[in-house]
Amino acid sequence: MDWPAFSLSIELAVVTLLVLLPFGVLAGRWLARTRFSGKAWIEAFVVLPLVLPPTVLGYYLLVSLGTGSPLGRWLLDSFDVRLTFNFAGLLIASLVFNIPFIVQPVQRAFEAIPENLAEAASVCGLSGWQTFWRVELPLAWPGILSAMVLTFVHTLGEFGVVLMMGGSIPGETRTVAIAIYDRVQSFDLAGADRMALLLLVLSLGAVAASFFASARLVARR
Amino acid sequence: MSDRRDGSRALRVEIDQQEPMPLRGRFECAAGELLALVGPSGAGKTSMLRVLAGLMRPQRGRIEVGGQVWCDSEQCIFLPPQRRHVGLVFQNYALMPHLSAADNVALAMLHLPTVERDAQARRWLEHVHLSGEQQQRRPGALSGGQQQRVAVARALAREPKLLLLDEPFSAVDQMSRQGLYRLLAQLRSDLDIPILLVTHDLNEARLLADRLVVMDAGAVLQEGPPAHIHRAPRNARVADLVGMHNRFQGVWVGPSGRAGWGLLKWVTAASGAGDDEDMLLEVRDKGKIKPGQPVNWVVPGDGILLGAEGSGQALDARVSDARHLGEITLATLTLERNPQISLRITLAGPQRQRIANGDRLAVRLDSALVHVMPLHPRPPQVAEQ
Repeated sequence: MDWPAFSLSIELAVVTLLVLLPFGVLAGRWLARTRFSGKAWIEAFVVLPLVLPPTVLGYYLLVSLGTGSPLGRWLLDSFDVRLTFNFAGLLIASLVFNIPFIVQPVQRAFEAIPENLAEAASVCGLSGWQTFWRVELPLAWPGILSAMVLTFVHTLGEFGVVLMMGGSIPGETRTVAIAIYDRVQSFDLAGADRMALLLLVLSLGAVAASFFASARLVARR
Repeated sequence: MSDRRDGSRALRVEIDQQEPMPLRGRFECAAGELLALVGPSGAGKTSMLRVLAGLMRPQRGRIEVGGQVWCDSEQCIFLPPQRRHVGLVFQNYALMPHLSAADNVALAMLHLPTVERDAQARRWLEHVHLSGEQQQRRPGALSGGQQQRVAVARALAREPKLLLLDEPFSAVDQMSRQGLYRLLAQLRSDLDIPILLVTHDLNEARLLADRLVVMDAGAVLQEGPPAHIHRAPRNARVADLVGMHNRFQGVWVGPSGRAGWGLLKWVTAASGAGDDEDMLLEVRDKGKIKPGQPVNWVVPGDGILLGAEGSGQALDARVSDARHLGEITLATLTLERNPQISLRITLAGPQRQRIANGDRLAVRLDSALVHVMPLHPRPPQVAEQ
C-alpha cells in the first residue's frame, strides 16, 4: 500500500474542496438567480471539463502554465513560482477539473427554491445576506452536500489531468490513482488490487452516505 | 398594537407605467378600511400588490402610507420591502418549508432578541388559533387553512402599516374559508391599518370589502363601495366585470314629459329602428346624454320585479330556464314581445318555488335602478376620479 500517495490524494481532495466550495456556492447561486443573454456560454464553459478528455484539459493547462509559456515564465522570473509538476500544479488542475462537479449540483439546488420565498423573506425584513443564510442556504444544503461529496471523491480518483500536470513524482505528485497505474505497469497486481479496493470502498461509502443524508434532509421538510 | 397618533394612516396610490406591463390607476384606502382589488386573471391585481410591497418598482408613480412616502418616481424615492413594514400574505403563502410554524413567524421579527421573538411568535400564532403542537410543525405537516393562518400571523408579526392579501382564500376549502372570513373580520377590528385584498371572487369581495377597485388589463376602471358600483357601473366593461348579467343596448331618446326623467329605447341587434315603440322605458335623466346617442344600460337584480302589480312598466315574459341551486334559484326570462331579449334573475325564499320552465309571468323593471352609460367608440382605459 502506497500510503504517501494515499495521504497526498486526501490532502489534494480536502484543499480542492475548501477552495472550491465558496466559489461553487456563489457561482451556482448566481447562475440560478440571474438571466442574461450570454448565460448559456458561461454554463457551457462550466460543463466543459466534464465532457473534455482529461488529457486534453491537462495538455492545455500544461502548455499555458508550464515554464515554456509566457505566464509560466513570468511567474518563475518574478516570483520564483512553478505551477507544473508540483502540488500547486495538481491543485490548479484539480480545481479546474472539479468546477462542473460543484457548480452544477449547487445551481440546481438553488434553482429548486421557489423565488417567492426570497421575496417573502425581504417583505419580512430580511436583508440579502440574512435571506441567504437563513432561507436559501438551508434549503439548498442537500444539493451542496452532495456536490461536496462528489467533488471530494472525484478528486481522490482523478488520473488524466493530474498525470499531465504533475507527472508521477513520489510524495510530491503521485496520487493514489497514479500509484495504482504505476503498480499495474510494474506487474504488482496485488499492490494495485489493495489500493483499488480501498478507493472503491471509500468512494462508494461517501456517495451512499451523502445520498442517505440528503434523503433524510429532504424528508424532514 | 397600533398607535393612533393621527387619523391620516391611509394608503394613497398613483401608478402609471407602460413597461414591462401596463399598470395604471389611482386609489386610496383609509386606515381600518378593507379595499378589494377585483378583476379577471391578468388584470394586474397581483402586480399592483407587488408594487405596494416594494417587490416591483413602477416606472412612474407615488405611494404614500400614513404620511410616509414609500415611492415617488419624481423624487427618485423607492423604499425596498425591508423598510416598508408591509404585511403580505402570498397566494400560496410562501412559508419557509424548513422552518416550523413558530420559526416562520419569528423570521419577521429578527430585530428582537431570540427569547422575546419566540414569545411573540407564539402569541401571534395563538391569535390565529394555532395550537402549541401545531406551532412546532413544519408547513408541510399543516393543512391549507392552517398554513394560511401561519402566513397571516407572519404578516401581522411584522407590525405592518399596510396589510396585503393576495387571493388568500383560493387554496382552502369552503369550511376553512368561513373560519378565515371570521378571522379577517376580527383582524379588521383589531388593526387600524389599510387592508388590501386581491380576489377574483366577487361574492367574497362584496362580503368582505368596504370598497372595490375594479381592474382590467392593468388599469383601474372604477373605485367605490360595492353597492355604488353595482348601481352605477362606469361603463359596460365594469358592469361585466362585477357580474351584472342584465346589460342591454339602447338609444337615448331624450327628456320625457316628467322633469328629471328621460326616455330610453330598448334596442336589440335584430330590432330595426323605429318599429318598437312599446320598447321605450322611462328612466332617470341626469342630462348628460345627447338624444340619439347609442347607450349601454344595466339593471341590477334588485330592479327586476315579478308580478303585474306595482310601479314600473309590466312586460310579459316566459321562464325559459330555471335552475334550483341549494337555497337560491337562477332563472332566465324571455320577453314575449322580443324573444331575443332575456333577463337573468336570482330568486330566494318561497317565491322561487313557484317558478318552473315554460311559466308565463309579468316582469317589471324598476326605472329608478336602471343605469344608462353612453356607448363610446372605444371604452376609456383609465377611470377619472
